[in-house]
Amino acid sequence: MSLLESLRFTRGDTPIHNMDPRVKFLLTMTFFAASVMFLDLIPLAAIFLVQAPIVAYAKVAGEWLKSLKGASMIAAIIFVTNMASFYYFRGGVLTFAILEYSLALTLRFIVLITSFSIFFLTTSPDKLSLALDKARIPYEFNFAFITAIRFVPVLADEAQTIMDAQRSRGLELDRGNFLTRVRNYIPILLPLIINSIRRSLELAEAMESRAFGATEDRTNLYELKMTQFDYVTLFIILLGVGLLVYLKLFYPGFPKLLGEGVIL
Amino acid sequence: MTIIEVRDLTYTYPHASRPALKDVNLDIDAGEFLLLTGPSGCGKTTFCRALNGLIPKFYSGEMLGTVKVEGLDTREHPTMRLAQHVGLIFQNPDNQIFALIVEKDIAFGLENLGVPKSQMLQQIHWASENTGIVDLLQRATHELSGGQKQRLTIASILAMRPKIIVMDEPTAFLDPVGAERIFEVLDKLNKEHRMTIILIEHRMDLAAKYVERIIVFNNGTVVHDGRPQEVLGEESTRLLGVGTPRILELARRLESRGLKMNRLPVSAEALYESLKPYLPEPRAVPAVDVRGLDEYAGEYHHQPIIQVKGINFTYPGNVKALNDVDLTIHQGDFVAIMGENGAGKTTLVKHFNGLLRPQSGSVLVENVDIAGTSVAKLSRKVGLVFQNPDDQLFEETVEKEISFALRNFGFKDSVVEKRVNWALNLLDLAEYKDKSPFTLSGGERKRVALASVLAWDPEILVLDEPTVGQDYGQKERLRHFLAQLRTQGKTVIIVTHDVEFVAESQPRIVLMAQGRVIGEGPAKEIMTCPEMLSQCSVAQPEITRLFKMLSRHGLPSDVLDVDEAFDTLTRYLKEAGP
Repeated sequence: MSLLESLRFTRGDTPIHNMDPRVKFLLTMTFFAASVMFLDLIPLAAIFLVQAPIVAYAKVAGEWLKSLKGASMIAAIIFVTNMASFYYFRGGVLTFAILEYSLALTLRFIVLITSFSIFFLTTSPDKLSLALDKARIPYEFNFAFITAIRFVPVLADEAQTIMDAQRSRGLELDRGNFLTRVRNYIPILLPLIINSIRRSLELAEAMESRAFGATEDRTNLYELKMTQFDYVTLFIILLGVGLLVYLKLFYPGFPKLLGEGVIL
Repeated sequence: MTIIEVRDLTYTYPHASRPALKDVNLDIDAGEFLLLTGPSGCGKTTFCRALNGLIPKFYSGEMLGTVKVEGLDTREHPTMRLAQHVGLIFQNPDNQIFALIVEKDIAFGLENLGVPKSQMLQQIHWASENTGIVDLLQRATHELSGGQKQRLTIASILAMRPKIIVMDEPTAFLDPVGAERIFEVLDKLNKEHRMTIILIEHRMDLAAKYVERIIVFNNGTVVHDGRPQEVLGEESTRLLGVGTPRILELARRLESRGLKMNRLPVSAEALYESLKPYLPEPRAVPAVDVRGLDEYAGEYHHQPIIQVKGINFTYPGNVKALNDVDLTIHQGDFVAIMGENGAGKTTLVKHFNGLLRPQSGSVLVENVDIAGTSVAKLSRKVGLVFQNPDDQLFEETVEKEISFALRNFGFKDSVVEKRVNWALNLLDLAEYKDKSPFTLSGGERKRVALASVLAWDPEILVLDEPTVGQDYGQKERLRHFLAQLRTQGKTVIIVTHDVEFVAESQPRIVLMAQGRVIGEGPAKEIMTCPEMLSQCSVAQPEITRLFKMLSRHGLPSDVLDVDEAFDTLTRYLKEAGP
């Protein structure tokens, strides 16, 4: 949960925040593809070294570290299970190669998390919706997406209030066996559901009153416009993709960073 | 020029047995500032929804007669088209804000209409300027305060440039100063831009100062229609349970005693002007010691029942809600906690039954620290009634709803039945016993929520915003009910914005602002201290403002409610008279 929490958009005014969401998405997908293409420590470390300054440039290092912290448990599991299974299946010998391979897999995971962090931490839902709009996703879906995000804090508040109200009437949520506990949540879920239905009707009325669906040619306050920075970034991404393809097809193989020695 | 023309409008909701509106005929002129009022369920909200075609199109049901807005028949044009002519604003701002950023929300209607960007920017600017939210344009909508959100909903409707704005209880959730600002915005739109404003509002003292015409509904028909002084001065209006502004009420009573009023006043200033000829010249008056009043308020010698000692509370995300709060409430006290939206009032009362635990400092209930005691156990002593009944009602019948807490507390079946019947009778709900709480009206649901807490007879009763959404008659009943509880020695604490309610029930007042207790004392003392009140966004009652002016003539300044005002004035005039 904390992992998802830390992927929430943080407002800011950096070139990364202001980047065209399509270019940023392409950048994310390039990082994604690159990290899946290679299994050696050197290229993965190289990708990481490209990502780190971007995170710093976007001033989201704190949030990014939080997401890494949230992912650290999974990263540890990846590292330990790899080490253990290689050790076990390769006849009880632990080599530097195994260590390097396990480290590479773990780093791959971190690189993946980082690439999504960069995208979600710096892209406002409004811009995301614009990108969806450009991709010709029907506006109704787009509207539903934004509305869902808009009402997350509202619903969370409401759930808390309902819980407080019922606890004030003597409801004890964590008492009894498993079945009783599930039943304890009925007095909380029912008002929440009924309020949501009522809310959705009110929302529909308010939408009508704001001319929702009045014209097919909806305009948008915000527009996506490629800036020079976006074009330059796009050019660099394309160069990067070219380099990746070359390395994958023609480069014989990366040297092992830690050598071939035996640890145990 | 007539802008809205309603002819023989009769409307029945689907599955309803009787019409919500019956033979309504009305003409509304362009540029009017109009108030719709009447007891709960009288049809005023239904009428508003008929103005932009939500009735009958959104609700279906059966509609007879015609409604024409700027010459457009609401039945022939869809709501999304009528939206450019009539802007309808609903009660709860949260359910009509769609975007994540303020300016984007103002743009929503314009985007839907396909307005080009350059024009959109102009209209957003115009709308935000007229509602005073220019500096909020880039803010996230969920970070706004209640008053700011309500001004945003006005701006969002305004941007579409309708000629008519219709608002359903826009100030229900706002503190008095926030409410006043909404009225100032509406007044400006009416005066400077000749917009027609139609409003539903229960804050009669505030509304009467601004509107030019009042229409009273009862049982779906229009029973009165005219200038505020005429309509509100009528005895039959008062009998309907429509509140009369206190100043007007006072003026009426004085008039019946033979004082001449050139025009029935609705503001303190106007009544003061009318009274002037009867008063001697202003003179220096020795200051009266208001504190003397404490002496006969016996409850101050009772045992402390809730003690709050230096508590601090910060919500996740670094929102400091309580800052070093100290407060003692005595047994049998009647306390009103007042202050601006977000001052920490609700956060404070949630500490009384342990829903929230102080991050530092301590809370003692009946001299025992609440640390380590469960909410369920504390709730037996401290009954907390939440603001919105819909946040707790869930059972099939009213009877089951009321017995819910009793069963949680482990009362025996025979006791449960007795207590439920007792609570049902106490709050006049016996006839609804087997009905589903969801079929009841807002005011009735609120009473069910109250009954469900009263049923276990807690020593201390805490009510969060008990008067919100209640009409005048319901508020009067609540006031009497709370007085009755006090005579039984119960401690009653209310959290409220309702200045008139407080002025009339005269509790001890605790004023809060920005997580601190700014001041506390008897109502008379606090209500006569405008500096402290304005610091907490609480407005002074009109009667008190009047007596502030009258104090220059030697009258006491600490008069809060109509009865006392009338007595004081008549006695004074008799003495001063020839």
